[in-house]
Amino acid sequence: MDPMAAIRETFFQECEEQLCELESGLMRMEGGETDQETVNAVFRAVHSIKGGAGAFGLEDLVRFAHVFETALDRVRSGKLEASANAMRLLLRASDALADQVRCARDGATPDEAQTTSLAAALKALTNGDATEQSDPAEDDGLGDLTFLPLPVPVEDETLQTGGWVIKFRPFADLYANANEAALLLREVSMLGPVRVTVDRSALPDFAELDPEGAYLAWTIALHAECDEQAIRSAFEFVEDDCELVISRASDQSDRLNLPQPDAEVAGGGTAETIPTPDPVTAANVTANSGMPSDADVLAMIRKAQQSVSSSDREQPGAIAGGAQNPSPPAVRSRQDAAPGTDGAPSKNDTGSAVGATIRVDLDRVDRLIDLVGELVINEAMLTQRVMEAGLARASGVAAALDELEHLTREIQDSVMAIRAQPVRSVFQRMPRLVREVAAMTGKQVRLLTDGEGTEVDKTVIERIADPLTHMIRNAIDHGLESTDARLAAGKPEEGVVRLTALHRSGRIVIEVADDGAGINRERVKAKAIEKGLVAPEAQLSDEETDNLIFLPGFSTASEVSDISGRGVGMDVVRRSVQSLGGRISIASRPGAGSTFTLSLPLTLAVLDGMVVSVAGHTLIVPLSAIIETLQPQAANVHTLGTDVRVVAMRGRYIPLVDVGMALGYSEVPLEADKSVALLVEGEGGIRAVLIVDAIQGQRQVVIKSLEANYRAVPGIAAATVMGDGRVALILDVDAIVSVTRTELIRGDALRAEPTLLQAS
Amino acid sequence: MPKRSNPPKGAAAVKLRLDPILDIKASAPLYALLSRHRGRDLVIDASAVERFGGQCLQVLLAARARWAADQRGFLVEGFSPGVIATLELMGIEPTAFDHRREMGA
Amino acid sequence: MIKTILTVDDSRTMRDMLRLSLVEAGFRVVQAEDGVHGLEVLRDETPDVIVTDINMPRMDGFGFIEAVRRDVTWRSTPVLVLTTEVDAEKKSRAKAAGATGWIVKPFDPVKLVDVIRRVAA
Repeated sequence: MDPMAAIRETFFQECEEQLCELESGLMRMEGGETDQETVNAVFRAVHSIKGGAGAFGLEDLVRFAHVFETALDRVRSGKLEASANAMRLLLRASDALADQVRCARDGATPDEAQTTSLAAALKALTNGDATEQSDPAEDDGLGDLTFLPLPVPVEDETLQTGGWVIKFRPFADLYANANEAALLLREVSMLGPVRVTVDRSALPDFAELDPEGAYLAWTIALHAECDEQAIRSAFEFVEDDCELVISRASDQSDRLNLPQPDAEVAGGGTAETIPTPDPVTAANVTANSGMPSDADVLAMIRKAQQSVSSSDREQPGAIAGGAQNPSPPAVRSRQDAAPGTDGAPSKNDTGSAVGATIRVDLDRVDRLIDLVGELVINEAMLTQRVMEAGLARASGVAAALDELEHLTREIQDSVMAIRAQPVRSVFQRMPRLVREVAAMTGKQVRLLTDGEGTEVDKTVIERIADPLTHMIRNAIDHGLESTDARLAAGKPEEGVVRLTALHRSGRIVIEVADDGAGINRERVKAKAIEKGLVAPEAQLSDEETDNLIFLPGFSTASEVSDISGRGVGMDVVRRSVQSLGGRISIASRPGAGSTFTLSLPLTLAVLDGMVVSVAGHTLIVPLSAIIETLQPQAANVHTLGTDVRVVAMRGRYIPLVDVGMALGYSEVPLEADKSVALLVEGEGGIRAVLIVDAIQGQRQVVIKSLEANYRAVPGIAAATVMGDGRVALILDVDAIVSVTRTELIRGDALRAEPTLLQAS
Repeated sequence: MPKRSNPPKGAAAVKLRLDPILDIKASAPLYALLSRHRGRDLVIDASAVERFGGQCLQVLLAARARWAADQRGFLVEGFSPGVIATLELMGIEPTAFDHRREMGA
Repeated sequence: MIKTILTVDDSRTMRDMLRLSLVEAGFRVVQAEDGVHGLEVLRDETPDVIVTDINMPRMDGFGFIEAVRRDVTWRSTPVLVLTTEVDAEKKSRAKAAGATGWIVKPFDPVKLVDVIRRVAA
């Protein structure tokens, strides 16, 4: 990769980390932790973003970060109180900064109105307490980012005279800070031929001499057509540590003493020992200004390289040669262990690209996962063949196979762990969401999170953000009562939403709990009946009632609110969770709040399935879709029309699907009481009863895509290879269930006349 | 540079050798070293010197003046061309440190 | 002889930029993430020039420079402050701590290399 592009990528990665740091720091401050360390960390985060943004010429970002930083600096210095109001503004500013960073990254245009108004609010905040400070409005934040003052234009005659006399008397501090008169003189000599005379009049007697004092002074006659600024910049670092008088040679009437360009200079030194100036470098040093583009920066690096190697030629031993020029390694070291949290960073030479972590192309990991999947299958096949060959009990073969299986599983787990990431990245987006929704609903909400370090496969993480966002919105909008209602119920004004992640029996469980009023079951049931989702006579447990909210089209809010009403209901949440092989449920206690529980597989590469036989074929039904297995009684099975069958269960009719027929494996319907039934739940909470010949057992299978290896097949989600080498198809429960639904609608709508059906 | 083959006469001259790096860290040790040999003729080998800073220059110049006043020999020899160039940039001729006793006497 | 530069900066972006600029210019680069880490690196490394940020966790640039200057080993080693701050107070604090010079961020690689050349013997 182009090195600048790589650094740019690092920059934006680092920005994300800084933004998290910023937000969590501000939230700690909001919670009353206004200790210096927290405030400093917050300041540093913005400061660091600004610094990097400047390097990449992201001026808008620099401007806003600067205003933000100025406000934070006043908090840091104790001139601005971290009041609730101030903190709210700073948090909003951190959200806006995050937006701007992402816009800068994606080349999008940030919301200018928002930025402008926030910047104005920050300035007002800053100035509100300012007494001596200059108006930050005049300071666009770029003022302190220019490289060097531009050379002051000088009159032509100065250029023509082309001569300077410089009187330079160092103080002891100059040497103490590791500046060196010899190097400064060398620097001046780079501008043009010089004649240097030393003034030793201040040198005391040897006995009185302080070896670290400063006694010598120099007068330099410089023959150069440069301006005074060029000379001053040579002394830039020592201007307070020396006496410096720069005057034109003509003023001194000593132009005759000036060294001439062609003449031997500085007391008869030979040409190769006297450095000659590099006009290109000198011009570069002083003339560069403004924001460089990436290309500019790269060009400048190349230029610097040249200027170094050229000064090498001119000044033997002065500076290292540009011999090394390694191309950037494909795998770059990434030292993202936060210093101070997990001990000191490694003390090794960080130049050797040894870091705590490496970044690897995701494709490579996926390829590895794929291969490990093959390995698992092969191992199972080998075991089965060995068993079949009757070798199992022979000598050490069985033990060796056990060992192989053990190793294979371990490799699989380790490889899966490479893709595992903490859910932190998703959890970190939630505080902002909570702030926004709280502001929109006028509720006071505190978000508590726990288990951010819980790890789950990267693909799962990417796909839980949306459902989680919706659940949190829902919890605040529908779960929490209004402030008045809370006060009336004797609860604290501030509602609490708790977001928790944990591992439970090989799955990740994410809970979103609120301390609101809980589900109003009367109303939910009434609504469900009104919408024809349940029969009015249906006897529903509390749990079943609560879970009605996941049915498609269900909405308890009497008016569609701006927050949850974006055309999305909990049914969509359920669908997206199920598409990940996950399940979602709700538990509610009246007056005390509701808890949504999301359970997801740790990876999408393997699946827990139930192995079933259907008309001589082996199929896998994802365990996540199965609610229960049952033995249907013939009396509970009703036939509607010609071939649609339903099962009566707990006051509801569930369509029955003969899997063998649905997939075209058999022509003759299975008799319900001679089969095994699986109550499954598909897309949108639609339930169906699948009947199959027999259940073989449960096992974890490696998912092989059919589309990638063959072609998409209706009703089949994917395939896997069993231990005996046979391919088994993984049932697409959603597809099967939705097919059922259309059939049902075609063949006399179940939902349209629930009462009639109940009677039949 | 011209070779000076005749060392100071009288008591055997003390031979000293300058360190390669004559920066602020070297200044006080150099001063101490020279102080220890006050009153003796010195022949100082500068051939190892790579870097020559202002403060060591001061020490050597002050020493040279003191040795001259004491009528002792003081000879610094063997500067590399690079160091000579540095000295010239500081307005110093490579022979500026030398005081030969027979001349000064 | 290849010169070694120690850079001390908590920003990965900055470290990468510094490394790229300096390695391309032919320097050997060792890096530290804050002042404490910088002092640790100095136990094993002998840089010719040190470039340090000011705002850093654990030990900031001022503390780092003071600690470096207190150690006689580093009395003559140039320390350049790399910072976006140009206000006089920060500069004079850095100088009081013992800084040799400064580089204003965002640095221009030519300028960076030139400044290092200026202060390096």
